[in-house]
Amino acid sequence: MSTRADILGRVRAKLNRNPDNAATGRAAIEATLAARQQGPRPAVDTQKSALAGRLIEKSLAYSSTVDQVATAAEAPAAVARYLAGLNLPLKAVVWPALARLDWSGSGLVAEARGAQDADLVGITGCFCAIAETGTLMLCGSPESPATVSLLPETHIALVPASRIVAGMEEGFALVRAELGQLPRAVNFISGPSRTGDIEQTIVLGAHGPYRVHLILLTAE
Amino acid sequence: MSTDFRARRFKANSEAALANPVLQANMKMAKGKFVDKRAISIKEIDDFEGTREAAKALRNQVIENLDLWLEMFEETATARGATVLWAKDGAEICRHVADIGRKHSVKKAVKSKSMLSEEAGLNLALAAAGIQPVETDLGEYILQINDNEAPSHIIAPVIHKSLDEVADLFEKTHHTPRKTEIPALTREAREVLRSHFLSADMGISGGNFLVAETGSVALVTNEGNGRMVTTLPRVHVVITGIEKVIPTLEDLSTLMRLLPRSATGQSISNYVSVLTGTKAAGELDGPEHLYFILVDNGRADVVGSEFQDMLRCIRCGACMNHCPVYQTIGGHAYGWVYPGPMGSVLTPLYTGIENAIDLPHAATLCNQCGVVCPVKIPLPELLRKLREKQVEKHLRPWFERIAFRVWAWMASCPTLYGIGTWFAVRYLKWLAGGKQSIPVLGAAPEWTKGRNFPAPEGKTFRELYARRQKP
Amino acid sequence: MRVALFVTCLVDLMRPRIGFAAIELLEAAGCEVIVPPAQTCCGQPAWNSGDKVSAARLAKKVIAEFEGFEYVVAPSGSCADHIRTEYPAILADEPAWHARAVALGSHVYELTDFLVNVAKLAKVPGNFAGSITYHDSCTGLRSLGIKAQPRALLAKLPGVELKEMNGAEECCGFGGTFSVKFGEVSAAIAERKCNNACATGAAAIVGGDLGCLLNIEGKLRRQGDEQTRVLHIAEVLTEKQ
Repeated sequence: MSTRADILGRVRAKLNRNPDNAATGRAAIEATLAARQQGPRPAVDTQKSALAGRLIEKSLAYSSTVDQVATAAEAPAAVARYLAGLNLPLKAVVWPALARLDWSGSGLVAEARGAQDADLVGITGCFCAIAETGTLMLCGSPESPATVSLLPETHIALVPASRIVAGMEEGFALVRAELGQLPRAVNFISGPSRTGDIEQTIVLGAHGPYRVHLILLTAE
Repeated sequence: MSTDFRARRFKANSEAALANPVLQANMKMAKGKFVDKRAISIKEIDDFEGTREAAKALRNQVIENLDLWLEMFEETATARGATVLWAKDGAEICRHVADIGRKHSVKKAVKSKSMLSEEAGLNLALAAAGIQPVETDLGEYILQINDNEAPSHIIAPVIHKSLDEVADLFEKTHHTPRKTEIPALTREAREVLRSHFLSADMGISGGNFLVAETGSVALVTNEGNGRMVTTLPRVHVVITGIEKVIPTLEDLSTLMRLLPRSATGQSISNYVSVLTGTKAAGELDGPEHLYFILVDNGRADVVGSEFQDMLRCIRCGACMNHCPVYQTIGGHAYGWVYPGPMGSVLTPLYTGIENAIDLPHAATLCNQCGVVCPVKIPLPELLRKLREKQVEKHLRPWFERIAFRVWAWMASCPTLYGIGTWFAVRYLKWLAGGKQSIPVLGAAPEWTKGRNFPAPEGKTFRELYARRQKP
Repeated sequence: MRVALFVTCLVDLMRPRIGFAAIELLEAAGCEVIVPPAQTCCGQPAWNSGDKVSAARLAKKVIAEFEGFEYVVAPSGSCADHIRTEYPAILADEPAWHARAVALGSHVYELTDFLVNVAKLAKVPGNFAGSITYHDSCTGLRSLGIKAQPRALLAKLPGVELKEMNGAEECCGFGGTFSVKFGEVSAAIAERKCNNACATGAAAIVGGDLGCLLNIEGKLRRQGDEQTRVLHIAEVLTEKQ
């Protein structure tokens, strides 16, 4: 007997599985999947400016930094300002989806590809942002590779204000509506990577980025 | 499963832990952080109790139809290109991983945290199969370079180690100048492990949850190693227990309100990765091959049993963080993969009740664990049931069995009881010799190891009351 | 109100004065107090140790002795909870006994809970004065919700200064048989409780369960502290200074 048959067989025996309750069981499963029941939700003000306010508040609490410009066209200048302020080179790997922005106009060398070990700065957009916890939701694709938000020490994310939603539930609902199915990698990112493993002392910058900088696009 | 059954030496281990000053200092510090931060963070949820109830309900829903949910997950995961394998025990987990490694010419595997790989002793098996395993969770890495020491907490594996111990270890292993600050040590680990991430052929992870709706695995991490391990190598293997299935992405959202808060007091973990299927056409990163190893190792037998509630566990660690016994002795004393209250239930269930006789008794049944458990597992009741099972299987010492029967018989005979207690209280009062308490009591040596036995008044209530009632 | 006093085995053996204090309080609240004379123990140690046979035997004895009273009051959260919550589980296999256990359970109360919420005691008979700190025993707190009740009663003593300790709700390490099986760990936990209690500077440590109090007192005396009093709340409420 295969292990699969053995394990499922024993579980079925323990549950007193018979054809009748298997049928009702399957119906119950289908019903559960269709219902998509949400649990209790904490109150989040869903008025547009309140969502942005909460995203900023939570992002700052999680050690990200936040800047605001009106449109994506102004983002390259904001990125250049940010990097110059930290004495970081004006060089970044960028999501192919953002290649169309005028990076060189702000003195930035931005390469649209997946990230490599040597890249110090990664620039991404986001699929949406979760106000409840100050979280970026990034969906991987050829145009939005996961490595850009992972390998470089500095991660800069452009966040259109219209893409800020209340909770994770809304993020998943958007994926279902806009992408049909989950992409291979959905990453929820809340601030710089961290570890507390040594003497329970939090250190920022474990294996992921040391810095996360949000640029809110207020008019987008 | 460890064959030396360290859990059998719990008492000796716990007494050694009491005498270890580094451990005692670390446990004291950690308690303040995990307990206090959790208390603050749960206030953010508005309806914490309602969320616990919802989490309990959704977990029960799966367990009550576990076979069907597993089949559903298998279907949705396979449809997205994953291969779903099944493992009865640790040995089979190791066989599967070795086979996968061989099939894909794997020389090096990077691992993010998997308690199941601890249950299986996977690292040793990988090494034996010619695959170099590298732990990448900082705590697990520290243990690995310390001769594969066992973790002492499921979330904070090196909670028992001091900064100095880690600094010494890094100096010895990395052949680098000794660092004295925690950020510098963390940076050194980042640099050492980075090269492994980039050169590994296979990534092995656990799975916090398996989402049946989409065939996905959810990984909850802070360090970024979970993302590294599942983005860069060309093969990804997920090893997780059959009880980890949850129905929908909404359920994941609900559990994500409870898990980080219960574990470390964070509102959200740094990274939540929901991974589904293999690298898509044109995608620049991700594994070409994805395997799920769904593990039994004792879980199937708990379904439908009086211990079924334990399968709801989401491995947050809140129970041990709040347990007065765990806080006092740390995790190693418990002798297996899982310590604290959840370990005291799982170790006998998964490794054999006779291998962990002390664990269910090493609890005051204070229920602080039950109060903080995000999925409302009645841990003290499960511990008590394990105690009952031991009695049924005649695993208790004979003198203990006899003592209880004799005492219960006497307590059922009020006259006999009255006579026995009449003598007992006078004897004890005499032993106290006029003082408030008795320093050594042969009848209860464990009690007087660390404290005195207060002197009784010298007469029983029943005799005094009877006397007062006489006209 | 007719109240049957379940005095508890520890009070019977170690501190009868707590039993008499409980009677005094109940009578001050206007109750007629009956003490079923054949009572011995609720059987909790047996149940917690997995000895179902002994636990059931004692449960039946207690049910037979105490059913039929309008109220059953115990100066102990763990004993009251054991009778109320566990007896039905212990006797689940015997429907007739189970029904009697359920019926009895609904009449069983811990002392401070009864005095505050049922008898509504207006004035306490004692005049205790001094600083005290209060230990919340685990079962009373988490199973029966005993928290505000003792404090409400202590507030009726104008001379009492209540100083709350850190970790008042943390276990003291007694745990019944735990204290005689894992004595060193138990004593280490007790030490933390004593340190927290003594850090308040209170002259007396007070609680509602004698097991906890004996554990705490034993630890204090081993540490050489013979001054700090360790008292049951019934004693504090009735003490005439």
